[in-house]
Amino acid sequence: MSLSHSAIRPSIRRRLWADRWIYLFLLPTVVLVASYTIWPMFASIWFSLLDWNGFERAGRFIAFGNYAEIFADRLFWNAFANTVIFVVVAVPIRVGLALLLAVVLNAGLPFSRSFRTAIFLPVVTTAAILGVVMRFVLDPASGPVNEVLLQLHLITQPINFLGRAGLSLYTAIGVWVWKWLGITLIYWMAALQTIPADLYDAARIDGAGRWQRFRYITVPLLTPFTIIITLITVVEATNVFDLMLTLTNGGPFFSSEVIDIFVYRQAFAANIPRLGYASAAALLFGVCVMAVIAAQIVVVARLRRRVAEQ
Amino acid sequence: MSTRQTGGINRRDALVGLGTLAAAMATASGRSAFAQDAKTIKWWDHFQPIAPLFEKAWANYGAVHPGVTVEHTVMNPADMMQALQLAFRSEQAPDVMSIPAPLATLNQLAGSSWFAPAGSGLHLDKPFQKDVLFEGLTNFGGKVYSFPLFSFRQHSTSLWSLKDKIDTDGNAIKGWDQIRQVAKAATKNGTYGLLLPIQFTDRMRVHVDDLSQMIGGAGPIDWKTGQYNYAADEYVETLQQLLSFQQDGTLHPASSSLDARQGRTRWAAGEAAMFTDGPWNSGVIANSFAQVLPNIAVSGNPVLTDSGHVHSSPQAGTFWISAQSKNPDIASELLNLFTTDEFYIKLAERMDQPPLNLDAVAQANVHQTYKDVVAGYKDSVRLAPEPVIRNADVGKVYGEMKPVSPSLGEIVQGAFAGAFADPKPVLKQLADQMTAERDRAIKAVNDAGGKVSVDDWKFDAWNPAEDFTPDKY
Repeated sequence: MSLSHSAIRPSIRRRLWADRWIYLFLLPTVVLVASYTIWPMFASIWFSLLDWNGFERAGRFIAFGNYAEIFADRLFWNAFANTVIFVVVAVPIRVGLALLLAVVLNAGLPFSRSFRTAIFLPVVTTAAILGVVMRFVLDPASGPVNEVLLQLHLITQPINFLGRAGLSLYTAIGVWVWKWLGITLIYWMAALQTIPADLYDAARIDGAGRWQRFRYITVPLLTPFTIIITLITVVEATNVFDLMLTLTNGGPFFSSEVIDIFVYRQAFAANIPRLGYASAAALLFGVCVMAVIAAQIVVVARLRRRVAEQ
Repeated sequence: MSTRQTGGINRRDALVGLGTLAAAMATASGRSAFAQDAKTIKWWDHFQPIAPLFEKAWANYGAVHPGVTVEHTVMNPADMMQALQLAFRSEQAPDVMSIPAPLATLNQLAGSSWFAPAGSGLHLDKPFQKDVLFEGLTNFGGKVYSFPLFSFRQHSTSLWSLKDKIDTDGNAIKGWDQIRQVAKAATKNGTYGLLLPIQFTDRMRVHVDDLSQMIGGAGPIDWKTGQYNYAADEYVETLQQLLSFQQDGTLHPASSSLDARQGRTRWAAGEAAMFTDGPWNSGVIANSFAQVLPNIAVSGNPVLTDSGHVHSSPQAGTFWISAQSKNPDIASELLNLFTTDEFYIKLAERMDQPPLNLDAVAQANVHQTYKDVVAGYKDSVRLAPEPVIRNADVGKVYGEMKPVSPSLGEIVQGAFAGAFADPKPVLKQLADQMTAERDRAIKAVNDAGGKVSVDDWKFDAWNPAEDFTPDKY
C-alpha cells in the first residue's frame, strides 16, 4: 500500500501560505528583476523585429530585416572586432597583472597596504567621470602625461592618445585596466589566502625555490579561481559603455567603437534613431557572448572530468 | 488608567498629530485647486546667446498674463535630439522646442506627430514673414506649424581670430595660402594656429560644405543634375586644405576631441589663434568671455573666390509646439512675441544667427565683427532650391531615408585621425551610398502611393550666382 502524493506533500496553496514571509520578502527583488532585466530582454527581442525610429509610438514589423542588414554592415563588424580586441587584450593584462601584484603584495612587503589602497582607489571612482578626467590627463596640448613624456625627452612631439585612429582603442584599454585592476587584485588576494601555509613550508623544507613554489603550489591551487575571475573579467570587458562614451565616444572614425557604443549610436545619437536595428545588434552580440561563455563552461567541465579521471 | 508612552509621544499626541497632518493636507489640496490657473511652459532650445532676450519677452508676457511662467532650458545642440527623444517617449516633452537636426529628421518628426499647429495665437502678417512659409519646412498639411526666426542668408564658417595672436589684420585674411601662413606664424609659445571642432562631426560637415562652395563647388547636391556631389574636386580640395594644418603642425592637437563649445572656450583662452564658427560666435563671446570681445577679428568668407557662393536652403521653422503640450494656445502666443520689428532689432543685438528681417541689423547696436559677418553674407550666400517645396512627397523621402555612415562629418574626422590616406574614394563611396539610399527611399514612398522621382532634385533654372526665388520653381 502506498500513500498518495497529496497525502505526503501539502497543497501548493498551503505551502505558499506557510512560506508567505519568504515570498513577501522576495517580492521586491522579483518585481525589480522582472521590470528591469526580464522585460527589457524580451522587449528587445520584439524591437529587433521592427523598423522603428523611436519618434513614432510603434514601429513597423519587418521580421528579420534588421538582422539581414546587420550581417552586411561593416561598422557593426568593426565594432564587433573592436570588442573582441578589447576582451582579448584587456582581460589577460588585467587578470595577469593583478595576479602578479597580488603575489608581490601577499609576500608581506613594506607599505603593501598603502599600495593596495592606491591600486584600489580608481575602482571606487565613477567610470564616466574617469573618462572625462582622462581626456584632460591625456590631452595632447596641455595634458600631464604628454608633459611628463616631453620633459623626460621620451617623445619630441605630443602624442594624441585619443585622437589617432590607431591608438584610441589601446589607450582606452589601458585606462580600463588601470581603473579595474584593484578589484581583480582583491579577488586574487582572497584566493591566495585559501592556500594553506603548510604547503609552502613543506616545499621550502624540500628545497623548492620561490619560482617552484609558485609554479607547483600557487598556480595549480588557484586554477578554479582563475576560471571564475577570468569569466567575470570577460563579462566586464564587454560592458564598457560608460567609460568609452566619455573617453572616446567610439571615435575617432569608429576606431574605438565597441558594440555598446554602436548600439547607443544607432538608438540615440543618430539624427534619425533606429531602435529596432540597435536592438538586433545588441541581441546578436549577446548571443555571441553567451556562446563564448557556454564554450568556456564546457571546456572547464571537460578539464575537471579529465583531472578527476587522473 | 495609564497611557503608554513611546519615545515621549503618547497615543493622544499621535492622534492629534495625525489630525493636524490631515488638516494640512486638506488645506494644501485646497490651495492647489486655487493654483490651477498657474501655467508653466517648458521650453527647450539651443540658442544660448539669445536666452536673455527670450526670457525678458516671456517675463513681459507673464506680467500681462499672471500665472504664466516659462521654464527655459538651453541645451548643447550635440545632445539635444537625444534628450528630446527620451522626453517624448516618457511623455515629458517640452511644450516648445527647437530642432537642431537636418530637414530629414524634421520630416520624420512631423510624420510621427511630434508637433502641433501654431494655432490662432501666431500672426505672420508681414510679406517677408509670409514669403518664408513652405510646405515641409514650416507648414504641414496646409497648416502653419512654425516659422523661421533667422535669415537664410548666413553660413557657419567664418574665420574668427584673436588679434594679439596673429601678425596680420584678422578681418582681411583671405584664401587658403594666407590662412596657412598666418597659422604658421601664430604657432608658438603654446598657441596653435587653428582650432577645429572635429569631434562635432555635424559641424565639421557644415564647415566642409560651406568651404567647398566658397571655392566654387555646388554643395552636397548639384542642383543642375540633382546628383550627390561629395566626390567633386572642391570637396577633396577643401579636405586636403584642412588637413594641411595638421601636416604643418599648426592645428591645435586636441581638436579631434573637442566640440564647438569646448573648442570656442579654448580658442578664447588663447590656446589657438583662429577658430571656425558661425555669426553667433560674437554673441557667445560677448556674453561668456566679454574680456575677449575687443580682441577678436573675423574674416566672414575666408576662402571665397569670384565664382564661389554658399547655397543656403530656405529655412525650416525654428520653434515647434509639442503635440504633447497641454497649453498649445499659450505656446502659440509666446511664439508670436518673436515676430515684431522691435524683437528683430533686439534679436540682432544678441548677435546670434541674423534675424529673418536682415534690415534690423543696421538698426541694432552690435559689435563690428557681427556687422561685418552679416554684411559679408550678401556677397557670398545665395538661396538654394529645396525639392520639398516643389513636391511635398519629397518630405516623405526625407523621412524614409536612413542615415548613411560614415557621413561627411565622420569622414572628416577619420581623415584627421589617420584612418585612411586618400579621402577621395571615401567621399565617392559616400556619394554612391547617398544616391542608393535616396533611390531606395523614393521606391518605398512610391510603393506606398507617393509620387516622387529623382528629377524632383533637378532644377534646370538654377544659377549658382543667384537666389532661387519662389517664382523659379
